[in-house]
Amino acid sequence: MKKLKDAKKIKVLGITVKPKNKIYWFEGVTEQGVKSLLADENSKFKWLRSQINRRILVILMALGLIALAMGSYWPTLKTGSLILNSGAEIAIYSVTAIFVIFAVLGGYSLLRISVRSIADAPDELLDERQIKVRNTSFRYAYYAMGYVVLGLLSLMFFGPELQMFQPEGNDGSYLVIATLFAFASMPSMVMAWRERDI
Amino acid sequence: MSRNPEEPVYNRIEEARVALGLSRQDLADKASVHYQTVGYLEREEYSPSLVLALRIAKSLNQEVSELFSLTPFKKGK
Repeated sequence: MKKLKDAKKIKVLGITVKPKNKIYWFEGVTEQGVKSLLADENSKFKWLRSQINRRILVILMALGLIALAMGSYWPTLKTGSLILNSGAEIAIYSVTAIFVIFAVLGGYSLLRISVRSIADAPDELLDERQIKVRNTSFRYAYYAMGYVVLGLLSLMFFGPELQMFQPEGNDGSYLVIATLFAFASMPSMVMAWRERDI
Repeated sequence: MSRNPEEPVYNRIEEARVALGLSRQDLADKASVHYQTVGYLEREEYSPSLVLALRIAKSLNQEVSELFSLTPFKKGK
């Protein structure tokens, strides 16, 4: 791991130069972003460090993902009242869906901050314990996503049989978005849930 | 990270660190690890690799065998 307290600015021949902030495109993090979180430079998010707060965030994130996934289904649930007929109903549905997407996006960002981006950071920015923690989180996240995908496949397979949904009007787009968010956030969720100190 | 209950590695990191008047952050900087990792090591909840054990021993001016053991250290020794 590189020194965490690397100076933000270095002097070369008397000229102050700001080092280049390396972007890890594959991981979706920046060097300074991860270092800043690891060094607790932003005290504004310290409340996220306690395990209880992280677990609350994980529960809220899971609920957000379920709400987002159900976005594909609730207009077609056989309750009658939720079937979108008028323009106003469609507008309410769309605004609610956008709100849920942004809430999940916000939750995802907070989740990454709560685990100091360790779940997404490359090896060179972490120490050996953090690398082990990250790898363990990915292993459990892989198992968890296996169950999520199994659940989704069951829903797709048995849903029509149980006649829970009306076949029309369901393109499954929110289900796909929720699954993608789940894939992206599951390692952080696992880490936030399991680790006592981050 | 959960502790391996089968093979714990006991250590005297905290004792040696305090004797040198170092904070956890100071030791973390010397050993190039995060300060939380020093906490995990001191609580014996994480067993370090040989490389890290050597780095910590060097940072604390001690031999690895003086700092780490597979059996609990006797108090005061």
